Amino acid sequence: MNLSTLNPWILTLTTFLPALGALLIAFLPRRDRDIRWFALAISVITLLISLHLPVHYREVAPTNSGTFAYEQNLQWITSPNIHYHIGIDGISLWLVVLTTFLVPFCVLASWKSIHDRVKEFFILLLLLETAMIGVFIALDLFLFYFFWEATLIPMALIIGIFGHQRRVYAAVKFFLYTMIASVFMLAAIIWLYAQSNTFDFVELQHLIATGAIHMPGHTTLWLFLGFFVAFAVKVPLFPLHTWLPDAHVEAPTAGSVLLAGVLLKMGTYGLLRFNIGLFPVEAHKNAPWIMTLAIIGIVYGALVALVQPNMKKLVAYSSVSHLGFVVLGLYSFTRAGMDGAVFQMLNHGISTGALFLLLGVVYDRRHTYEIKEYGGLATPMPMYATLFLLITLSSIGLPLMNGFVGEFLILSGAFQAKAVYGIVAASGVIWSAFYMLWLYQRTFYGKITNPVNATLPDVDLRERSILWPLAVLALVMGVFPTLWMNSIDASVAGILGTQHGVPAAPALQVKVNTVLK
Amino acid sequence: MPTATDYIRILPEIVLSVWGMIIMFIEPILPAGRSRKGLGIFAAVGAIAAIAATIYQARPEFAGSGFNGMLRVDHFSVFFHLVVLLVTLATILMSLDYLPFQKIDRGEYYALILLGAVGMCLMSSAVELVLIFIALEISSISSYILAGFRRHAAESAESSLKYFLLGSFATAFFLYGVALLYGATGSTNVFDIARTLGTSPHIEPLAYVAVALIFTGLGFKVACAPFHVWTPDVYEGAPSPVVAFMSTAPKAASFAVLIRLVIDTASPHWFWVIWTAAVLSMCVGNLGAILQSNVKRMLAYSSIAHAGYLMVAFASASNRELGISAAMFYSAAYAAMNVGAFAIITQMAGAGERYSQIDDYSGLGKRSPVLAAALTFFLLSLIGIPITGGFFAKFYVFSAALRTHLIWLTVIGVANSGMGSYYYLRLIVRMYMFEPRTEEPAPRVRLGMGLAISICLIATLWLGVLPNVVLHYTQGAPTIFFTR
Amino acid sequence: MIPISYYLLLSAFLFACGVTGFLIKRNIITLFMSIELMLNGVNLSFIAFATRLQTLDGHIFVFFVMVVAAAEAAVGLAIIISVYRTRETLNVDRVNLLKL
Repeated sequence: MNLSTLNPWILTLTTFLPALGALLIAFLPRRDRDIRWFALAISVITLLISLHLPVHYREVAPTNSGTFAYEQNLQWITSPNIHYHIGIDGISLWLVVLTTFLVPFCVLASWKSIHDRVKEFFILLLLLETAMIGVFIALDLFLFYFFWEATLIPMALIIGIFGHQRRVYAAVKFFLYTMIASVFMLAAIIWLYAQSNTFDFVELQHLIATGAIHMPGHTTLWLFLGFFVAFAVKVPLFPLHTWLPDAHVEAPTAGSVLLAGVLLKMGTYGLLRFNIGLFPVEAHKNAPWIMTLAIIGIVYGALVALVQPNMKKLVAYSSVSHLGFVVLGLYSFTRAGMDGAVFQMLNHGISTGALFLLLGVVYDRRHTYEIKEYGGLATPMPMYATLFLLITLSSIGLPLMNGFVGEFLILSGAFQAKAVYGIVAASGVIWSAFYMLWLYQRTFYGKITNPVNATLPDVDLRERSILWPLAVLALVMGVFPTLWMNSIDASVAGILGTQHGVPAAPALQVKVNTVLK
Repeated sequence: MPTATDYIRILPEIVLSVWGMIIMFIEPILPAGRSRKGLGIFAAVGAIAAIAATIYQARPEFAGSGFNGMLRVDHFSVFFHLVVLLVTLATILMSLDYLPFQKIDRGEYYALILLGAVGMCLMSSAVELVLIFIALEISSISSYILAGFRRHAAESAESSLKYFLLGSFATAFFLYGVALLYGATGSTNVFDIARTLGTSPHIEPLAYVAVALIFTGLGFKVACAPFHVWTPDVYEGAPSPVVAFMSTAPKAASFAVLIRLVIDTASPHWFWVIWTAAVLSMCVGNLGAILQSNVKRMLAYSSIAHAGYLMVAFASASNRELGISAAMFYSAAYAAMNVGAFAIITQMAGAGERYSQIDDYSGLGKRSPVLAAALTFFLLSLIGIPITGGFFAKFYVFSAALRTHLIWLTVIGVANSGMGSYYYLRLIVRMYMFEPRTEEPAPRVRLGMGLAISICLIATLWLGVLPNVVLHYTQGAPTIFFTR
Repeated sequence: MIPISYYLLLSAFLFACGVTGFLIKRNIITLFMSIELMLNGVNLSFIAFATRLQTLDGHIFVFFVMVVAAAEAAVGLAIIISVYRTRETLNVDRVNLLKL
């Protein structure tokens, strides 16, 4: 069979298969073991199907900007004019695969730690997967908002039902922050529709670029900010980040992994696709203060992470710092910076996702995240220590690991935009090495201070099968970034090429190519 | 002389009246203490027959005015008939086991619901103020009695009294407005009035006063601020299925009357009144709901807020097609989700409606996962989260408002709907994230209740995911509005 | 002949009396009577307008209002009795189980 016949339907299939699985689980009897296996099967099948996307991407890759691969455009509601318009480019391609890739690990990580209301948990997890994929593939603003809001409920429930002590507070805070912020985006979307009678991303992009939509006064700025607030809360950009540490600390392991790995990327993806895609001029005008916020986030996140006594909170603040890098790269408006930002989104998904999974391993054994409870873990858990080291190195961006490629590109982009941004941001790299290695030292080296730790079992087969693939992937992404970078770079070039008022930079391209080699 | 077609134009009302009267006749014959469930099932069949009659009536050959211009059958009336009748059906189904459980198993209950539905159906098709008034009273009087149906409970009697006093007070205002409008225009026909007001170069001050009085009267019925004070008390005391009924069906019908009057009688004069009422209702409703500890009171305030969102659609009625169809769609979506929520409150109420505090819902997710999931779905729809009818309805209303450049109204509305999410969320949090206070499992869901909840679930989901059919229908309504 | 405005003023006065009575009186029966007064004020307006306009609509309306008022009275008194049975008072301020 020729697999390319699948092309028009492959995205729909990838998106809705988990939801279908969730529906089936709802009708399964409450036998926890069966439900776990079923959820695992569904998520692995989804992963396998989604691998069709990158494998055949080259055949269907968009030739010019404004077109998308695996596109499908069906009328959903005639009036208002809403389409089921989906499609991906080189950027969303990898984010979709990242999502489908992380979910099976989340299922495995929840194998034992979730033992109460297992059915509800896996239903929510699979529904969340559908919504997350939907966000990355939607090309109709209504459809996008539909999926965007749909991610909110399963995540809030996962935190609130299956989380730790202060879970209710964290869940409500998470919900209210994101809900209230995204309402502004809804207002902006409706305004655009009222003026243009379309929700279609491609059409709107064209209409705005050609000035066909009448925008009196500061309208563009308000629209830009409407989208920006919704995404900035999700990223989270300093000073809107306060929900994140609470949500991470209280969430169960799988929730943290998806929150850090995918949900935060929805914010940066939105900043790239919609803020920069729809309002390039406005984005360019506002870049200085956004980059400043991003840099404050980088340094602030790193410094706060340094003093955390709680491992999970430390990793949560490190996310604020890492995501600051991504925003910095995006708004540097250089090809290197944007390439790096997209790549860094994937890196962060892999390495921070893996860090949360690693923390989940010790939490399952000791039920605490306090750093002072541990120490000298390298002796009882050598394999665990090795894996933790690999991921730590990936997270701090050691050369040959994935983090290096992303951070290097972002910093070189920032230097091109304005040297001072690059210099301050570079200090963030040093801080991140500091807090991660110090964490590593305090937990793994030294004497075993707490006798309970002396007899902790090392990672078992299930945990190894979760952690090794991620560690290996982090290494592969560091050594062969071009596997990913080719499609990312083409799409970024497309986005930059459609920018108005931004100098096209053939010189940059040369630079990127040299960096990549 | 009325023709056969005229009778078909009131066929659903005839069916409902006949069914209601048959129940009234059977009730005294049945021995005391015998279950009235059979009568309830009979009433449900009546509601289904009326739905069938409405669908038959919807054929194009029956569209138009009947009984010398007393009423009109058009897309608009058929739509509201269906909303009212589906609410009626769901209410009857959820009452089947509620009544014996609360020891108020009387056949009149079903008769009153059916007869009340007659009034509400007539309200949506009447175009003559006399008929509108009578229909309004038919629906109101039966709701007064229904509110006090748990007559041994002091709260229920009190709720009924408050509803009755304030309802009659409002009716008097409505009536005075009608009298003045009659004096100012010389007619009681909605279209004649519209024509007179529309063509005369200057409008008599009398007409303004009249319009204000009518708005006051109907404002009471739809519970929009500043005429909302009765709502929380009445909803708290009345039996839960009755609240499901009267928070949706009479409201939809009163909105239908408002739409006919407002849209036909030169909307620019109404604009600021409606704008203010919309903003006040949204703010009062959402702020009031945050402070409540009783679920029924909370949903009462939420219904005030939702009346406000509907008013937003009215305010955008200068774009006739969008404003009207948004208001119609919103009332349908609101009916589906609110009846659903009250169905579950009915199920949870316990003997004497003891369990209606928010605390009583703690841990429902554990005690009864299915009920909790269904209530969560309805609450999410009330918040306006995607895949529910509530989301699409809100979206549609706000896009209508922005189409007519009501930017501030939209901003206030959108901010309110963000704020409103808090109190609905509080209930969801209680259900899933708190431990149950009793180990006692939730009461078993009987067939009637199950059907009622399923109707609401399907309707809410359908309106949220595939709203195309309903949208088309509502968008067809305004175009034929003026063609007499 | 008495001008129509006199009738209208009288009817407005009756209506206003009813509204005032409704708002300041505390006995439920009195409240109920105030509502009847409002309705009768409205009836007077209808008749006055009908005479001026020389149409029958106003007269017909009055008949319907009377019928409906009678029905309302029946239901209203029944509700008042049921409240009296459970609370043994007819003062609205003491009918306050549901906080207003």
